[in-house]
Amino acid sequence: MKRAHRKNHLLIWLLLGPAMFAIIILAVLNRPDAVVNDRLPDSLTQEAR
Amino acid sequence: MSHDYKAVQWTPFKKRFDRWMLIGIAVYLILFIVLGGIFQPPGESIQPVQAVIRATGTLAFLLLTFILCIGPLARLTDRFKPFLYNRRHLGVTTFLIALVHAALVIMWYHGFSETNPLVSVFISNPRYDSLAGFPFEVLGLVALIILFLMAATSHDFWNANLGPGTWKALHMGVYVAYALLIAHVALGAIQFEKSPVYVALLAAGASVVTALHLGTGLATLGKRDRAETDGWLKVAAVADMEDARAKIVRPADGEAIAVFRDGSQVTAVSNVCRHQGGPLGEGKIVDGCITCPWHGFQYRMEDGQSPPPFTEKIATYATRIVEGVVYVNPDPNPPGTPQAPSEIGADA
Repeated sequence: MKRAHRKNHLLIWLLLGPAMFAIIILAVLNRPDAVVNDRLPDSLTQEAR
Repeated sequence: MSHDYKAVQWTPFKKRFDRWMLIGIAVYLILFIVLGGIFQPPGESIQPVQAVIRATGTLAFLLLTFILCIGPLARLTDRFKPFLYNRRHLGVTTFLIALVHAALVIMWYHGFSETNPLVSVFISNPRYDSLAGFPFEVLGLVALIILFLMAATSHDFWNANLGPGTWKALHMGVYVAYALLIAHVALGAIQFEKSPVYVALLAAGASVVTALHLGTGLATLGKRDRAETDGWLKVAAVADMEDARAKIVRPADGEAIAVFRDGSQVTAVSNVCRHQGGPLGEGKIVDGCITCPWHGFQYRMEDGQSPPPFTEKIATYATRIVEGVVYVNPDPNPPGTPQAPSEIGADA
């Protein structure tokens, strides 16, 4: 790779690397405990549980 | 090489590589679907098409992760150079697997309403403000579009007509596609699948790819070889130069220089291959020609020209040997200029 491409390549990974980890961590921390369809009546979701 | 265009420049090695690649893909898909059925959690039931969706999705993710590891790994060890040579076929295959995954998802989850299935991907879930409920399919679709552009322009025709610089810049989009894929899985499958295996796979993929690219990138960042008082750069002692291999030196200005030893002769050329900017100094001399480790483009040692009928040319540099140490003049000759090699043992 040319020198300019090497620099761009490094810059891209300095940005993308942390961004990917941030997304993974946030996604894991925010995932719901159980899959719930909130459009269903309470009685049905209770029964399913 | 590039004096004319063929759909695929088949070689026995490429055929063998593709055969094993297809066998590996078939084995993975069959094992994933069969084992997934055997170890299915009690109470969970999935349709065969859903099993294929999962199998193709995980396979595309694993293949793209591996593809992105090939470049940095090939710089660390020669064992990965054959994969580098065949990376294009692997990339196009990955796109096709991802396309099957996307087509099945769109048909299975969006194909039964009155709305156009492709439109449905974008409008059926408008929760762009929610992390857990984010329309993750859109991320996958954008990644697929980028992979399509990669696959469609992977042929040397596009490399030659766009120019290696533009082509390379365009193909760096695959990194963005990978980040989108990570987000697609994190906000999609990870939200529904409670098995820690999926989280572990995702984190491992992102960690390995990021570490390899940052590691190899930082290793050469700001690395410059200091010139001697007369402006020449010290390369290495003759005894430290492996036959048919090169040492790479990096002048303060300009591109890196590959200094090759071929028996008793030393020559220097630009480290940048004219094809796709591959690092010539990481290649070797084959049949008397400097051979790029990426795709096998070749240049004559004496003048930096590709042997006929090919027309590529790279810059040559003057070298000298003083008291068993090789030096190179960092001022390049115009591409294709003959440059006499330095003879080992002829120095003072």
